[in-house]
Amino acid sequence: MNNSAREDILGAIRSHLAASVPYDKQEISHGSSRMNTDTNPISSASICGQFKMSLEAVDGHGRIVHGDKEIAQALTEIISVLSQTKIAISDNPEVERLLNLTDLEIEELSIAPNAHDIFRFDVGISTAQAAIAETGTLVLDSTGERHRLVSLVPPVHIAIIRASQIYRTLGEVLTLIHGAKEVSPAVTFITGPSRTADIELTLAIGVHGPQELYVIIDEVN
Amino acid sequence: MNHLSSETFDQNAKAALADAHLRGALKNATSLFGERRKAAAASLPNWEDLRTEARAIKDEVLWHLDRYLEEFVHNAESRGAKIHWARDAAEANSIICGLATECKAHTIVKSKSMTTEETHLNTALEAAGMQVVETDLGEYIIQLAEEPPSHIIAPAIHKTRGQIAELFNAELGMPLTDDVARLTSTARATLRDRFAAADAGISGVNFAIAETGTIVIVENEGNIRLTTSLPPVHIAVMGIEKVLPRFADLDVFLKLLPRSGTGQRLTTYQSFITGTKRQPGDEGPEQLHIVLLDNGRSRMLAHPVTRQSLACIRCGACLNACPVYQQVGGHAYGSVYPGPVGAVITPQLMGIQKAAQLPYASSLCGACREVCPVKIDIPRLLLHLRGEISPLKGKLSERLAFKIWAQVMMRPSLYKMSSVMGRFMQRFVPVAKAWTKGRDLRPIESKSFHELWSDE
Repeated sequence: MNNSAREDILGAIRSHLAASVPYDKQEISHGSSRMNTDTNPISSASICGQFKMSLEAVDGHGRIVHGDKEIAQALTEIISVLSQTKIAISDNPEVERLLNLTDLEIEELSIAPNAHDIFRFDVGISTAQAAIAETGTLVLDSTGERHRLVSLVPPVHIAIIRASQIYRTLGEVLTLIHGAKEVSPAVTFITGPSRTADIELTLAIGVHGPQELYVIIDEVN
Repeated sequence: MNHLSSETFDQNAKAALADAHLRGALKNATSLFGERRKAAAASLPNWEDLRTEARAIKDEVLWHLDRYLEEFVHNAESRGAKIHWARDAAEANSIICGLATECKAHTIVKSKSMTTEETHLNTALEAAGMQVVETDLGEYIIQLAEEPPSHIIAPAIHKTRGQIAELFNAELGMPLTDDVARLTSTARATLRDRFAAADAGISGVNFAIAETGTIVIVENEGNIRLTTSLPPVHIAVMGIEKVLPRFADLDVFLKLLPRSGTGQRLTTYQSFITGTKRQPGDEGPEQLHIVLLDNGRSRMLAHPVTRQSLACIRCGACLNACPVYQQVGGHAYGSVYPGPVGAVITPQLMGIQKAAQLPYASSLCGACREVCPVKIDIPRLLLHLRGEISPLKGKLSERLAFKIWAQVMMRPSLYKMSSVMGRFMQRFVPVAKAWTKGRDLRPIESKSFHELWSDE
């Protein structure tokens, strides 16, 4: 049944194109319009600064830190002000290790809870596989880590990234994703907290996804 | 329900023009979006080159659409997606109802999709006994109000916070408020329950990448991520024109779409979904179904002028730029696709007789062409469609008048006589009644240019 629909549609496309004339082919070389990728080396301090600035322009919070001790300190500061501390973390062991360096009192801790359980958590913590400095974007790749739900459902999302994972442009990151041996089933770009302006164009933060997005950026690694 | 028909655009427009609140809301929205778009485009030094490249990519895809679709289908299927082909809206709806029945779906969450608005999928699913919940905040509001969307990217643009508060009060029992944050958080809380209960999620598609079989969906709210991550079944619905050849082409389109739509450098979320999960323990749905819809699109390929309609990426920039849309809003068009691009797509999708007034709903000022990120020549398309309509609807008297005019213009003596006659006759006979209803006709000078010239 479906096969005949497939043949009909492809047949209709072919016959209509055959009845037509080609488009006025414009000679363009692909990529000619894209920004020249600056090949000058960029210091990790300035790329971290650029990422943080872009992130804050879209209402996210960036914290530049140096090493594990300061990451733990940042986690403590962010979480200790919350009234509830049910925490869901991704299955990257790094996250659990860093959380264990804090002396936080945690009501409940769960690693990558499933779609039924995830709703009761207050905070989600994950890492990210890459980031884009020019837009303040986190890149979450499902092959490396189970963080699809912890980065989405809890009202607060904390991501921990290293300076070496930050790329300058969107184009560089697209090349990276496509260059992988096999494109991941789910890659997610996150640029700031969830937002909407559907009521009278008034900005409201945290409509369906997290209301708060914190990114802890480790400048030394 | 407040469903207007495309056949009665003139009447719809008149009613909209009398609605002072609507016009205020439209003015705010279209000017705000317009300014943001302008600033966002100016932030890239190569905006014009990007538009040119985007159009070239679209032209290439459309000229080889069969090949790129087959490549997309092959790559998506080899990664676990199931592909369904739908010749028209009814077939798409029946496929989706079938899939929903198969997975015993009771509650279905949906993220915004113009394509499913086009097929009236919700009506079909509800008739099949399923509960469908729109989860985009704007779509949720208009679903509660039982109204169609009025803007491609801001569907509830025509409603005030007061009206929304009354709606939430009546439908959700929420105390009246004019606080947008509280209205938003009430919607969040209500919809969370629906997400938790959902058996299937239905989404649209912004781009489908042939070389990898990836679908890309962009959004700000997070409801698309929830719709495509939580339920065990994900059904994505796309028009056959959504294909792009290469993954790298996204570098062009992800720069153009958010900047043209909302003036953002990137929307908050982009989901790149390539097939189904690889390991049983991974997150995400068990099944991914992709429905490819024709519904009149392949017909548009037959002419280079109409073919460019399929390059549209549904950013909404032409709506905001259009002096007609700015005054009458989306509902008057009587179609899910309003504004300039709606005026060209609707007659081609629904049949020209059903939307014959729409190609005339334009002053051909060209503002839409200026802002279009894929350089669609909308005024040329409108003229092309008018050319198809006029033989169908031209009045006998009108055709006769033009024939006489042609004869007169070819004979100087007749021309001279007619201007004398005209000057005399206009005292008694009202001319061009339709045209002079809203403006004055300048009286013909007592002496013609010819006469003035010979007097000198």
